[in-house]
Amino acid sequence: MPQRIEKKADYSATGGRFRIGVDIGGTFTDFCAFDEATGALRTLKILSTPETPGAEVMQGIAELDRRHGQPASGIRFFTHGTTVGVNTVIQRRGAALALFTTREFEDVLEVARLKTPDPYDIFSRRPPPLAPRERVYGIAERVLKDGSVETPVDPADVRDAVAKAKAAGADTIVVALLHAYANPANERAVRDAILAAEPGMAVTLSSDVWPVIREYERTVTATVAGYVQRRVAAYIGSLQAALRDAGVPAEPMITKSNGGIMAAELGKARPIAMLLSGTASGAIGAADAAARIGAQDVLSFDVGGTSADVAVVQGGEPAFGTGELVGEFPIYVPTVSVTSIGAGGGSIARVDDFGVLKVGPESAGSRPGPACYGAGGERPTVTDAFVAMGLLGAGALGYGAVRLDRAAAERAVGGVAERLSLGLPEAAESIVSVAVSGMYLEVSKLMSRRGADPRAFSLLAFGGAGPMLGALFARELGMARVIVPPAPGVLSAYGGLIADIRNDFIRTAFVDLDAGGLAVLEGLAGDLEAEALAWLREEQGFRGEARLIWSADMRYLGQSYEIETPVGRADIAAGRVAALAEAFHGEHARVYDHADAQAPVQAVNLRLTVSGAVPKPALAEAAAVPGPAAPSGRAAVFLDGAERMAALYDRADLLPGRHFAGPAIVSQDDCTTVVPPGFAAEVDLRGNLILTREG
Amino acid sequence: MPIDKVTLEILKNHTRAAAESMAYTLYRTAHSTFVKETEDFTTGLTTPEGETFATPTELGATWFVGLNYGRAIAMIDDYRPGDIAMTNDPYSGFVSTHSPDMHIWKPVFHEGEIVAFSVGHIHNTDVGGAVPASLSRTLSEIHQEGVRIPPVKILEEGELNRQVLDIFLANVRAPDQNWGDLKAQIAACNTGERKVHEMIARFGADTFREGVADLLDYAEAQARAIVRTLPNGSYPFADYMDEDSVDGRPCRMKLTVIIRDEELVFDFTGSDPQLESSLNMPTGGDERHVLLLVGMTYVLYSLDPSLYLNSGIARVCRCILPSGTMVNPEFPAAVGMRTLSCYRLHGLTFGAFAQAAPDRMAGAPGSGGPIMNVNTIDNRTGRRIMAAISPMSGGGGGRAMEDGPDGSGANQGFMKNTPTEVNEAEAGIKVLRFGLARDSAGPGLHRGGLGTELVFQAFSPNTRVTARNRDRTIFTGWGIQGGRPGGASKFILNPGTNREVDLKNTDILTIGPGDVIHVTCGGAGGWGDPFRRDPEAVLLDWRRGWVSAEQAREAYGVVIAHGAVDGPATEALRAARAGGEAVGFYDVGPERAAFESVWTDANYDALTECLAALPVHWRFYAKHRIFDAVDMLDPAARRGDGSEVRAAFDALRAEFPQLRAARG
Repeated sequence: MPQRIEKKADYSATGGRFRIGVDIGGTFTDFCAFDEATGALRTLKILSTPETPGAEVMQGIAELDRRHGQPASGIRFFTHGTTVGVNTVIQRRGAALALFTTREFEDVLEVARLKTPDPYDIFSRRPPPLAPRERVYGIAERVLKDGSVETPVDPADVRDAVAKAKAAGADTIVVALLHAYANPANERAVRDAILAAEPGMAVTLSSDVWPVIREYERTVTATVAGYVQRRVAAYIGSLQAALRDAGVPAEPMITKSNGGIMAAELGKARPIAMLLSGTASGAIGAADAAARIGAQDVLSFDVGGTSADVAVVQGGEPAFGTGELVGEFPIYVPTVSVTSIGAGGGSIARVDDFGVLKVGPESAGSRPGPACYGAGGERPTVTDAFVAMGLLGAGALGYGAVRLDRAAAERAVGGVAERLSLGLPEAAESIVSVAVSGMYLEVSKLMSRRGADPRAFSLLAFGGAGPMLGALFARELGMARVIVPPAPGVLSAYGGLIADIRNDFIRTAFVDLDAGGLAVLEGLAGDLEAEALAWLREEQGFRGEARLIWSADMRYLGQSYEIETPVGRADIAAGRVAALAEAFHGEHARVYDHADAQAPVQAVNLRLTVSGAVPKPALAEAAAVPGPAAPSGRAAVFLDGAERMAALYDRADLLPGRHFAGPAIVSQDDCTTVVPPGFAAEVDLRGNLILTREG
Repeated sequence: MPIDKVTLEILKNHTRAAAESMAYTLYRTAHSTFVKETEDFTTGLTTPEGETFATPTELGATWFVGLNYGRAIAMIDDYRPGDIAMTNDPYSGFVSTHSPDMHIWKPVFHEGEIVAFSVGHIHNTDVGGAVPASLSRTLSEIHQEGVRIPPVKILEEGELNRQVLDIFLANVRAPDQNWGDLKAQIAACNTGERKVHEMIARFGADTFREGVADLLDYAEAQARAIVRTLPNGSYPFADYMDEDSVDGRPCRMKLTVIIRDEELVFDFTGSDPQLESSLNMPTGGDERHVLLLVGMTYVLYSLDPSLYLNSGIARVCRCILPSGTMVNPEFPAAVGMRTLSCYRLHGLTFGAFAQAAPDRMAGAPGSGGPIMNVNTIDNRTGRRIMAAISPMSGGGGGRAMEDGPDGSGANQGFMKNTPTEVNEAEAGIKVLRFGLARDSAGPGLHRGGLGTELVFQAFSPNTRVTARNRDRTIFTGWGIQGGRPGGASKFILNPGTNREVDLKNTDILTIGPGDVIHVTCGGAGGWGDPFRRDPEAVLLDWRRGWVSAEQAREAYGVVIAHGAVDGPATEALRAARAGGEAVGFYDVGPERAAFESVWTDANYDALTECLAALPVHWRFYAKHRIFDAVDMLDPAARRGDGSEVRAAFDALRAEFPQLRAARG
């Protein structure tokens, strides 16, 4: 069970009026600050300090005060997202894990689900597990599928294993036993025996992390949780101290992979819930920004240096998934589904031995970065191509953090031009077109997987390179509208600012959908509800209205996969079998285009998501001043195979109601928006730049 | 005129997107659980001539990259917009390779001309015939393997051909599933058609046509460049299946890979005559048939994963396929279980290429583990349960730079297991062990991958266990460069009790309450001399429970005592055996070595020659008679030079005068 926390987040006024969202990325840390008194939304981007995590937060808070007169003492609400957990996995700097399994199932992580990463490659192999096999110990115990304990835990057996694990250097023990989702008693008995033998040992139980059926999925999730726990806890602790020292009165919140937030204190015990929060907050921020202008079906398109992160938002809600990757490992807690495409501003272009132009997946990353950053990079990147086309370079990137060296970009692109026997601008545009077609391929897959047609979607472009590529990408996908929010570089920070407190709970039922099955579900529902409300009220200290969202993972008898189906709590309580079955048939038809009303249905898991609404910023709306925008200048650019004169605009000058047509370039601190020929642009009342494809 | 190399890459991404979208459409809308679990399906786009230029790599079977629809397409002479044709007949058009695979193809028109075909297949759970699921080693004629639909239009200008559909569905055991899956295939083909039209709108019809031809040329050029990195030469290799039929004789597959600059010849001469079981591979004598080239595609792609996967790759190779053999059977030989032969051929291909590139290739892949189903009765509900339990896969072979991957890999990397918790919840069994089989890896400087191992118990009478593709209980996976063979696969009833039965290659049995089944997949072969393996690496495997102290000592010369390597004892042991055992390039293991001491190359070549002279319907019979005769010989009288085989053959001809008149 998550440990009880002493301090509770305080959602009542503390006299302050500032709400701050922070997103700490590998290169930049983004700030989004909302002033409740004026409705103003301010942004800031500073370089991250991975060596001293938390220092950049302090620096940013000071900077906000200096620039905007927002004192730390006026911060009443503070959320932040961090990559500290993900980096722990990617860099393999986490705990020295031991894993205790049911005896005879010690190879669970090695076998995984068998499939290799690339089945066409006969040398492909799965990544080595976070808990090495020599530190996996089988415990003589057994719980059966119905949750009954066939073989209880013998503390002496556990003591032996603990001694071996300690001798082998383990500092954290993950316990993942068969059928622990049905009954955690043996896992808890093992934990008690571990702590009796070794009181200081860190212990993670699979039934605490995410009690779901399927032993590999539950075990790998628990190992990731155990692996990152110490580092995340230490990080949160130092951040809390730093905020206290800076005089910030708000108890910090952290963003979660499920698109919600929770008290940071809780993250120390449940780091698994926050690992993928950065991309999740981006999707939440994108969904919110789009919903505010009435766009319900949106592709969020967050492009940074090394990857493009794409999330599908339908009906205003981002899609959720399980098995999203943390580094090389899937985790099975509810996570906003974000597809990461290995193509970004830093993707490197090359010509292969057959004269064919390739872009990515190799990336120049943030170091050395694109050639035009002048930090030692020499190979041509997508960003260099934009520079060589004249589309980038009118302003600076990253709040003056980087100056662009056009000559270096042209030198780099020149090599490709020579290999392709093309002129420099033509080669540069070729690099962009190939990069865009690669993104087209990946997003086509994503959309077909959901049976959705991208042409019915709007594109919400953000991140450092999203607005640069957005319109070109939308055109390739046949999308008609691109939305560029006012501060596209800090949308993840914004997402954290507007996210609700949210947590997920699950119980495996594995019952037929009949009267008996519903009685089982009803029992589980009572447990879930009590657990969820305790979390929201006691652990989060939330006193507002609790929103409960019920769903069940169901399937037809004989299927090996489930569909999460929204269900009514009242239908479960009243034993309305038909209502639940109908909900499933409908969902099956929606997802798979067909359903079988006669076939027997099973309910595998019952889920409950609890959320408490955080007040949303009422963003200021300016009065529209309709009319053509006045360009700040003109520049020769190369687009669509020809040199053209593009109008240059400063984003700060683009007041609501202003409109213009491509080709045009819009510069701002955050990023550069490219408006190709054939696109009309207009600024809406909230300062969003809306690009519409003509014809 | 070729299109420019920038547009080519962009078009490539668009064609890939089309194929992947087709695959997702099919996967999403397919009805049968089998399709969703096994992903045994394909989608793709072909040229008007039937060459596949776009194939999905994220979903679907890995075997059909170079599939050519040409012969099937040509069997229908008038195509109109809205038509969709289909066939599952392994002997009509040679696109379907066993009856459960229903292939369909839809012409895509632009301005009245066919510019592409949108194609795909699904493995149907059942297409009727003698046994449920339509597949069994015991079958000997294609007619027993279910209904056959020769190429026919299932849709004519968008109108469903109800008669054909009704005939098809009347002959299968679960018609709703077949019809549901066929609808998913049609949806996928329609997606492909729409994507082709979008590409023509984006690129123009001429660029599309030219670009498609260039994409095939591109893959071909890449494949040629990879072949060029391999030394010219002739690399013969053979491998065996334990049985050519139920309780039968060993079945030899022989392949000589000939590398000449940037081209390959696969000579299958020396492979067994066509079999009276369903292990035959229906290739129609097509010298570039996809089933024969799967191993080659694996090898070329693995040597350079930038290789673009389409049928252009197949152009670098030509096969020599003697007629009336298991790689080119004549109608009506049964072909349902060609899966097992195909697996063996993949490994055989890897092995032949290993001679050409010993430092880039690996030992034999793990093999012989079955696809398992349990059919039992739930004691609580009384309901009959049919459940697929875990496929038992093996690892990849060791190679110059690393050990082989454990549990799955090489040509079995696409498989997914069923979790133990789901097996117990659904299949009415209790799993006693699931993991990696100790000592199953072929020892080596770099060892092979371990096979998986499953032990489970049944609780009801009349519990039927089927285990398709069982093999490798006798002939194990070979090691190379001094590496040792992997362990044999096992299938044992009630191990360690007085009711223990070694089930060997049995593929179906009935068990009762309390009975325990232990099954393992054969291990993968090692690479390099195991006596040169770092003793600490052996110790680590021992600590991991993957190598026993006995195997450490016997196979690796490493003495483990008190949880550590006994250095002096290890040195002494290794010194004592140094240079003791000379091993050839392949170490095929004692069972195969013993078999081949009787059935030498010369003897088997003589057998091949003799049988080739016989009418096809005599060959299998004659093979068994000759095997019987050679068995009877006094070991001292054996010369291994082919003479005893010829003598046995002459005796057979003397016994059956009708053979002398018949022509092969």
